Amino acid sequence: MLGFVFPLLVVAAAAQPQVAMFRNYCTGCHNAKSAAGGVALDKELTSDVAERVVRKLRTRQMPPAGLPRPQEPVYEAVVASMTGTLDRAKADPGRTDTFRRLNRTEYRNAVRDLLDLDVDVSSLLPADESSHGFDNVTVGELSPTLLEKYLAAASKISRLAVGVPPNAAGGHTVFTKPDLTQEGQLDGLPLGSRGGVTTPYNFPADGEYEIQVRLWRDRDERVEGLLDPHELELALDGERLKLWGVRRPQGTEPHHLVDKDFNVRLAVKGGPHDITATFLKRSGALPESERQPYQARFNADRHPRAQPAVYSVSILGPYNASGPTQTPSQKRLLVCAEKTGACAKRILRTVLQRAYRRPVTEADLSQPMRFYSQGGLEMALRAVLTSPQFLFRIERDPAGVNGPYWISDLELATRLSFFLWSSIPDEALLAAAERKTLRQPGVLAQHVRRMLKDRRASALVDNFASQWLYLRNLDAVSPDPRQFPDFDDNLRQAFRRETEMLVDDVIRSDRSVLDLLRANYTFLNERLAKHYGIPGVYGNRFRRVDLDPSTHRGGLLSHGSVLTVTSYSTRTSPVIRGKWVLANILGTPPPPPPAQVPPLKERSATKAVTLRDRVAEHRANPACAGCHNLIDPVGFALENYDAVGRWRSQEEGVDVDATGQLPDGSRFDGAAQLQQAVLKRPENFVSTLAEKLLTYALGRGVENFDAPAVRRAVRESQTKDFRFSALVQAIVESTPFQMRRTS
Amino acid sequence: MIITGKHLARRTLLGGLALPLLDSMTPAFAAAPKPVKRLGYYYIPMGANIAKWTPGADGNSQILAPLAKVRDHVTVITNLENKNAYSPGNHATANSGFLSCAKAKMTEGSDYELGVTVDQIAAKEIGRETPLPSLELAMDLHNSVGNCDNGFACVYQNSLSWSSANSPLPAEAHPRLVFERLFGDGGGSAELAKNASILDWIRSDIAGLQKQLGAGDRAKVGNYLESVREVERRIQMAEKRAGDPAMRDADRPIGVPASYGDHARLMFDLQVLAFQADITRVLSFQMAREASTRTYPEVGVNDPHHPLSHHSNDPEKLESLAKVNAYHVGLFAYFLEKLQAARDGDATLLDNCLLMFGSGMGNPDVHDHENLPILVAGATGPRHIRYKEATPLANVHLTLLSRAGVRMDKFADSNGLVAEL
Repeated sequence: MLGFVFPLLVVAAAAQPQVAMFRNYCTGCHNAKSAAGGVALDKELTSDVAERVVRKLRTRQMPPAGLPRPQEPVYEAVVASMTGTLDRAKADPGRTDTFRRLNRTEYRNAVRDLLDLDVDVSSLLPADESSHGFDNVTVGELSPTLLEKYLAAASKISRLAVGVPPNAAGGHTVFTKPDLTQEGQLDGLPLGSRGGVTTPYNFPADGEYEIQVRLWRDRDERVEGLLDPHELELALDGERLKLWGVRRPQGTEPHHLVDKDFNVRLAVKGGPHDITATFLKRSGALPESERQPYQARFNADRHPRAQPAVYSVSILGPYNASGPTQTPSQKRLLVCAEKTGACAKRILRTVLQRAYRRPVTEADLSQPMRFYSQGGLEMALRAVLTSPQFLFRIERDPAGVNGPYWISDLELATRLSFFLWSSIPDEALLAAAERKTLRQPGVLAQHVRRMLKDRRASALVDNFASQWLYLRNLDAVSPDPRQFPDFDDNLRQAFRRETEMLVDDVIRSDRSVLDLLRANYTFLNERLAKHYGIPGVYGNRFRRVDLDPSTHRGGLLSHGSVLTVTSYSTRTSPVIRGKWVLANILGTPPPPPPAQVPPLKERSATKAVTLRDRVAEHRANPACAGCHNLIDPVGFALENYDAVGRWRSQEEGVDVDATGQLPDGSRFDGAAQLQQAVLKRPENFVSTLAEKLLTYALGRGVENFDAPAVRRAVRESQTKDFRFSALVQAIVESTPFQMRRTS
Repeated sequence: MIITGKHLARRTLLGGLALPLLDSMTPAFAAAPKPVKRLGYYYIPMGANIAKWTPGADGNSQILAPLAKVRDHVTVITNLENKNAYSPGNHATANSGFLSCAKAKMTEGSDYELGVTVDQIAAKEIGRETPLPSLELAMDLHNSVGNCDNGFACVYQNSLSWSSANSPLPAEAHPRLVFERLFGDGGGSAELAKNASILDWIRSDIAGLQKQLGAGDRAKVGNYLESVREVERRIQMAEKRAGDPAMRDADRPIGVPASYGDHARLMFDLQVLAFQADITRVLSFQMAREASTRTYPEVGVNDPHHPLSHHSNDPEKLESLAKVNAYHVGLFAYFLEKLQAARDGDATLLDNCLLMFGSGMGNPDVHDHENLPILVAGATGPRHIRYKEATPLANVHLTLLSRAGVRMDKFADSNGLVAEL
């Protein structure tokens, strides 16, 4: 049980504006007798209930649309009065879990920063489950199976880092996505090339490796798109290893012979290298930009490939291996070169301090040193990487404390680096924490500024924002190829890139977070620009493009990524889109559906009905209407964008009806007006973002008792034009981030 | 009881299923004899087109037709329910209730709570003699965001197996990692010895933490220590088997096949290996997740599974749903046929196991948990058991445990055994 009880909020004083308002507009339903939604407003409120009321009033969700509502100034006065009281109460910092395991992303980043080693964690550890929208919340378990995986991962990583060849020749295969169009030059591949794939790979040792390339085949096992001869190049770090001719089989020659010999065996130095397999662009081929409109080519039935495509690249080995020398990882790790115990101790002390995120003692070193004498540096490193002190972030209650307390400087440093970098602190941050100077005036703020500028802050884009905005789901999205024959992996990746670049721009240029919604620019390459119908963008490179309103683009609500991950493969879903906007933009997620869902009426096969009619039908059921009246009208505003985010004014010959309304009753027509309606009260969006950031920063759900901290963050950032850094600074300085309470 | 399988001709229709019907009035209190060595649990999400699943008067079924070649080893059980799965998050609890028959505590925090699942109860008994007490497998490599039921942590929707009320077990979907769990990474006993000594240190390290913590956190540390002990036990078992030729010959898979079907068949191949080499005797395999929006173009279904499952009795959607169901059944049939082809002493692997296949949801259109699509394969059948009254799914779990020699009087809300199984 919680040791902390919500203080009672006394609302008896008649001077308080809420008393009159509750009586006039609320207590008809919310009285002690009927207590609609479990809320009675004719008695004293606990702070917990008061926070729920504030949320409903702030977003104007109550009274329900259609019933009499107070004037705007009354709403504002009531919210101000109630929040004023709530914010003056004694703060409850909440309690983060004592043990929080590094999740897969954090583990990968920690290994990268500790050992200068980029490992493919998806082949080492299982994905983490998410809760409250993020996968760093339910991370307290260590099942036997997971522990086995950490042991195995530590073994592989320490071998790679120290340079001990693996036990058995292994392999790595990268497959191209089946729906990747390979007719033109691809992102990350050299100019003058066509299609193909490039993959980074950490060669585990100096030795011989075999590299194989295979081509895409159709259902009859014939190489796709193979009409004219082509040339396929295999390169290591950009240097050509091999150039193969790809020829169409003659007469009855079987197709399996085409790529049978696309194998190379060669000696490679251990360490990270890039392997690239790509076709040389044929001089006679039509330049991509002249092909109008864009044609996806991967679907054998619809738009078959016109030229062959790379299916996979496999790297097998090492054979006849010896340890690698001078990998980046060895340079990082081996701070001294002598094969002595003293040198080993120096190495381990450096590693341990960063891995454990605290000063190390002689006692900390004794067992790793014993492992060093048993099995060398590799064995010692392996033990460190499996130690709970590395794998877990542990926050301990100080002795003799009961109630809220300030967490230690070291714990604060770890919270901060995992928040901004999804990784371990660097030496500068650790040093400040060790000196206990973090809480001196200006020091923390200066570290935040420094860390936001660091390359590692990209974790806020690819870890935080990709979960907040559901970009992670793009990989699982596959629109119906019959309806959307032009959707291919090239577009999927471009979608992701556009949104990542906008978020990154807001962070790096320290813009107002409102720009995420209202930006009149975006980031496009030719593929995406064509999809959006925006002319004049050529080539694969993404660049900033200024937009005018006629493009119907700009801001997250018009991003193909968001519009596609909130659609089904065959059609849009106003329900999913509405829920997405409520939960991730407005911060008013709908409650869960009832336990027993009443069946929808049978759909009559004879009557043609629009999606709007069908959705309206399910809102006719009172059990569903309570929430769907809030969800669906928001989603309908985005109906001008189809299931892959293309603009449309008609659907199946009928004009699109994009009218809708927000829970506050404001009505609008289309996405642009929805955006204006959302921005009318920007603090709702900023609160939502602040809550998401706080959830992610703490690794726990944001509770009602956190609301004062969120409000404060919004207020403080407002004075700085809602700049991203101001919001982050306010969260870092907030009570729940700085403090914790005993259980 | 009206008829039993023995009184019927073994096969009435060439290539058909023709499962003899057995109307059952009441749960029984004694299980059938014939003990089995191995158990397996196979999950399909979002129920089924139950009309096309349930065998008709002739004992045939459109969805189950792919099982024809192994029909002598199949028992379909009709009219099972799982009352404890009803919740405000029916996708989450259809999955979490499938093997636990327990109520899930509604929370998105790390204070989740369910019940021990039946496979883990079996693992504690019949898994003691094998290097891995159980193996948890799944098909989804990526975890998506926002697809889990409101109010429920994703572990409910994604983890089939729970080793305690608050320990969901992660399932493995990467074939190479499954292979390495079965056969190691090639390092042999030297590798095992290194891990053993590291674990020894970790155990004392964790035990040291325990002294500094409050009661709630001490319990957590206790769980970690149990995990360490269990991994130590596994290493000891593996040490005994190091050098076993079966462990060296198998092919080491490298990547993840691009197509769902190839990936699933590879996962089934690995399960055959796991049984064959006696590395584990208890399996669970989630063939797709609840609320999955996967499409199945390989069988002509381009609509995503979840919206399709809200079929509103639209005949077209129902037919597509049946195709998805039949596709999953077909992949399971591939597994059963391989088990039948593999010798195990005097019998086949299939003769010595009981495998339950089905869903924790009945009619996905309304998210209910009654009239569940459930079948059992292995040392059973051919039969179609039809209960007059809705009967707890937990009865099937209790029966499988009992057939595997695990004595329990009751499991969750069970009220008897399925004697005819």
